[in-house]
Amino acid sequence: MSRVTVPLRVAAAVPLSPTLRAFTLIPADGGLAPPAGPGAHLRLFLKNGERVHRNAYSLISNPADRSHLSIIVRRVEASKGGSAFLHEAVEEGDVIEAGLPANLFPVVRTARKHLMVSGGIGLTPFLAYIATFEASGTPWELHHFCRPDERGVFEALLAKHPASKIHIHCGVDLGGLEDVLVRQPLGTHLYTCGPALMMEAGLELAAALGWPKSRRHSESFGGAAEGGAPFVAVLRRSGMEIAVGAETSLLDAIEAAGVDAPCLCRGGACGQCLIEVAEGEPEHRDHFLDEEERASGRFIMTCVSRARSPRLVLEL
Amino acid sequence: MLVSDIKSRPVYERLALDGSGRRHLVLSDAPRPLAEVIDGTEDATAPVGYWVVAATSAVDGQPKSEPAAGNAPALEERAFRAVPHLLDRLSHRLAQETVGFRLYAVGEEGFIWDVAKLAREAGLEASECRTAHAGSLRRNVFCVHCKTITEGATTSLAVCEGCGAHLVVRDHFSRFHSAFMGVQADAEAPGDLPPVEEIFP
Repeated sequence: MSRVTVPLRVAAAVPLSPTLRAFTLIPADGGLAPPAGPGAHLRLFLKNGERVHRNAYSLISNPADRSHLSIIVRRVEASKGGSAFLHEAVEEGDVIEAGLPANLFPVVRTARKHLMVSGGIGLTPFLAYIATFEASGTPWELHHFCRPDERGVFEALLAKHPASKIHIHCGVDLGGLEDVLVRQPLGTHLYTCGPALMMEAGLELAAALGWPKSRRHSESFGGAAEGGAPFVAVLRRSGMEIAVGAETSLLDAIEAAGVDAPCLCRGGACGQCLIEVAEGEPEHRDHFLDEEERASGRFIMTCVSRARSPRLVLEL
Repeated sequence: MLVSDIKSRPVYERLALDGSGRRHLVLSDAPRPLAEVIDGTEDATAPVGYWVVAATSAVDGQPKSEPAAGNAPALEERAFRAVPHLLDRLSHRLAQETVGFRLYAVGEEGFIWDVAKLAREAGLEASECRTAHAGSLRRNVFCVHCKTITEGATTSLAVCEGCGAHLVVRDHFSRFHSAFMGVQADAEAPGDLPPVEEIFP
């Protein structure tokens, strides 16, 4: 999550369904769009009166085409306002501030074959993946799960790609996935993006079928930090007490208090911000710690994780 | 100093069956009891294959299944005439395998790293192909001058089969070549060779 922002102009905003709207964004100052590899996401800073919504969306545009960036936004009922704002208040010609594209869901370049499993709007990063795989000629296979009424929308998004590699399933039953996972050639990598429970179920099924961890990947927006019960972080070395609000991350709160804490990706992926926990119970939201480290409760990744206990004492 | 302090030399641990695998294949470059080369096969929940190099023409390379005790999956054993015979069948097997497969190799370094290379070329990752050393410490030596690999050096100096140079066998190991680096010993003072010692029995 870079602090650098670029102004992007909405070149097109097209409704795909009652809840899906596609945006084409071009650099407001002209020139090429910032580079973004397949799987990258874009964080938008949406000024809605006093509030600033910070929402991240997977880029669906072909990474090799730097003329524009494209995203699809699902209007979420329980939205904190960002997706509703994009659906109602943003029009063609408007300029939006965006962070530089960041990629916490990159393609494994050494893979022999790419197997993608998506649910609903989780298809989005795979549209950029597929453009890349088609260009390089790497084998791929997509299994997309969606509601019957949205099948047509997703079929249209995939229409230009070979139908033999695309399997669209209506409903959320992953039952047929076992047959798919057991017949993949050596060197295949699995990527999953969609509702958290679906990703978890897909990854667990793959693990049970002998897929090592290094072959199982899932999307992460690095937006996991925000949202949760407020708590107090205590920095043991200085005795500072820092209130972490419901919508700030622990790392942001520490930085706001003027303390320089280690960090790099700010998305729970790199492991740089790891801090030892002296007291209290962490709520892990990162992708770095292994099961054993999580269970021990001795470490926390400050950029995304929070606290289950009202106080969390850190070795900082 | 005949053997340098370069530490690219692989460090091996005793093999253990990876319980998360769905099919296992264990390879050995000499006949050894399976339990001697790998732990955990007795309570395996997935099929285990054991391929060994018998170094005799009296074997046919055909699979022989032994019914295992209780509910354990059967153990399939195959004996091969020589290392190339085994590696040839391994290439065919890897081409047909699917994710969930685990490979293990035990033997001399030239053998286990030839297996690792085939595995890598077939798309396996390090976590899916494990190796352990057994048997002689003799080394394959890669001549940095003429690129020939001389097999089975047991001494601190080896004569290159390609160019005839006397090579110092270094500890610098190449996983790509399955061989140790050899550098001409008398490059600066021709004919001035250090004493030869048997150090890779």
